[in-house]
Amino acid sequence: MRRLRRGVVRATSEISEGVRIALANLVGARLRSLLTTLGIVIGVMTVIAIVAIIQGLNASFESQISTLGAHTVYVSKFGWFAQGRSEWWEMRNRKDLGRRELEAIQREAVHASAIAPMAMTRGPITRAEKEVSGVQIIGTNAQYLETGAGSIAAGRFLAEIDVDLSRNAVVLGTEVLDRLFPGSAPEAAVGKKVVVNGIPFTVIGTIARRGQLLGMNMDANVIVPYTTFLRDLGAKRSLNIAVAAAPEDLPALEDELVGILRRVRQVPPHKNDDFALNRQEQFLKMYRQLTGALYGVALGVGMITLVVGGIGIMNIMLVSVTERTREIGVRRALGARRRTILLQFLIESSIVAALGGAVGTALGLGVAQLVALLTPLAAAATPSAVALGIGFSAGVGLLFGSWPAWRAARLDPVEALRYE
Amino acid sequence: MHDALILVEDLSRHYVVGGETVRALDGVSFAIRRGEFVAIIGQSGSGKSTLMNLIGCLDTPTSGSYRLNGADVQGLEDDALADLRNKEIGFVFQTFQLLPRATALANVELPLVYRGLSRRERRARAEGALAAVGLTNRMHHRPNELSGGQRQRVAIARALVGEPSILLADEPTGNLDSATGEEIIRLFDDLHGRGHTIVLVTHEPRLAARCPRAIRLTDGRIVGDGPGAEVAALGAARVVHG
Repeated sequence: MRRLRRGVVRATSEISEGVRIALANLVGARLRSLLTTLGIVIGVMTVIAIVAIIQGLNASFESQISTLGAHTVYVSKFGWFAQGRSEWWEMRNRKDLGRRELEAIQREAVHASAIAPMAMTRGPITRAEKEVSGVQIIGTNAQYLETGAGSIAAGRFLAEIDVDLSRNAVVLGTEVLDRLFPGSAPEAAVGKKVVVNGIPFTVIGTIARRGQLLGMNMDANVIVPYTTFLRDLGAKRSLNIAVAAAPEDLPALEDELVGILRRVRQVPPHKNDDFALNRQEQFLKMYRQLTGALYGVALGVGMITLVVGGIGIMNIMLVSVTERTREIGVRRALGARRRTILLQFLIESSIVAALGGAVGTALGLGVAQLVALLTPLAAAATPSAVALGIGFSAGVGLLFGSWPAWRAARLDPVEALRYE
Repeated sequence: MHDALILVEDLSRHYVVGGETVRALDGVSFAIRRGEFVAIIGQSGSGKSTLMNLIGCLDTPTSGSYRLNGADVQGLEDDALADLRNKEIGFVFQTFQLLPRATALANVELPLVYRGLSRRERRARAEGALAAVGLTNRMHHRPNELSGGQRQRVAIARALVGEPSILLADEPTGNLDSATGEEIIRLFDDLHGRGHTIVLVTHEPRLAARCPRAIRLTDGRIVGDGPGAEVAALGAARVVHG
């Protein structure tokens, strides 16, 4: 027990002595320490800047993607990610989706928790002398919000009766509300008349702000009953159908939808689907592919510079070992074991590298903030990135310091003491 | 002979240099008792440095045996030798060998770091050792702020701090002017008076003459072992007192 305690005290005092010596040498040779760590500083700076920007992108992308329902399948003529022109033309020439498909899904999709058609067009919305042009007009039903399309800020959403009676009722997106009723509360708009594409509608509610999705303003829209839409705003458009389900039912729902749609659209067994089931997940997948590649590049660049930095550290540590040969001899004479010397030089190289990593991390975050300030890119500094930057460089110091440290530990005390 | 602190029997250390065997130390035997003050004297190349390295557990012999404080040094692992040096030997070097970036106090604490003492205990002991060599008011100075004599005193404090069995001094006055050298020798006399065992390696007969006992080496062999004044005066002549 006493031996153990003494061992622990010895180890801690050796480590603290190692740290003290390392810091003393660092301060004693400031310029050299700076030059030694330059490689690491630059490497870590690059990686941290790229990672911070990617994480900023992630955060903004995640908040954007949340404007799509996570557990919603969007049935459409078009897949979201067409691979090239020919595929796009193939999609373009597909039969439109219409009420037949909608009603079949409503009748047969047992796994669906909400089903909402989406007919879309663009047009001007006016009120008195105010006009907002190019607004997205969405024709849908009472279940639309349940497919993850936002929430009501004031008034109410479409009810089944609005759809059944094809009422001229409209729910305004925040952007439209703000421009038609500047400065007034959302409640003030409810009950007012607006003109949608030349036809008078009554405002029954407003949607809470949703933000952007990949540059698309999700608030510059209005929502009307799809029956009214088909009657007044154009019946020829292909419908999109949003179908929501409980998370665990999603795979079953997709199978079910494929079955229903192939039958209703009379797709022969040997042909591919002539419709697309789109999911929020596809966005994520594409996005992850993109940022995965970026991460890969950042990692590659970082690795190369860290290796370069590590070689710099190894070089300077070898010089340091040679310069301090006599000191090593003295320490050995006074009772330092080989591993004590090893430890001392390892501590020194990892502290030098970790300090370089810390400086590089700070600079990298600075660069990321600068980029965020000057460009639309976002930047986010997560504690994990900072810890990674510093930890990784300390690891590099440890790795590349190990050979010089081993050489120091291997020195013969007699030779070392005689060294001139 | 059983109360010998250092017991050396037929000790040899050979080096192979360019295919030729150099007998740096060739069958040396002697004993040093606790409390003795012994000079090892010889010309350069006489083997005195080799002997000092062996006594100091910095090196291991080619053949023969060496017992230090009752323990057989033969065949000890490197770690065990390091621990033995830490516990039993206090080195004093010609060139002081202080760490330039550390204060006197930190230099003196160093052997205790390797012994695994707590910071508080190290501090207290190091202060005591510096006081013992008369440097209480120079504890926080760095070596380059101290005179040569003061540096050697710091080195002696560092050698004493671990309460070793022997002080092993290698030409401790070699880098000092004669007045300061004299001071250091008096300090050794004083330490001897207080019961310390001291082995002083030197090439100066004048220094050896002041020691109660001296061992003269020539070509790796003992050619004289007796009262310091006689061994020093007789030079290379063989003098052995029982």
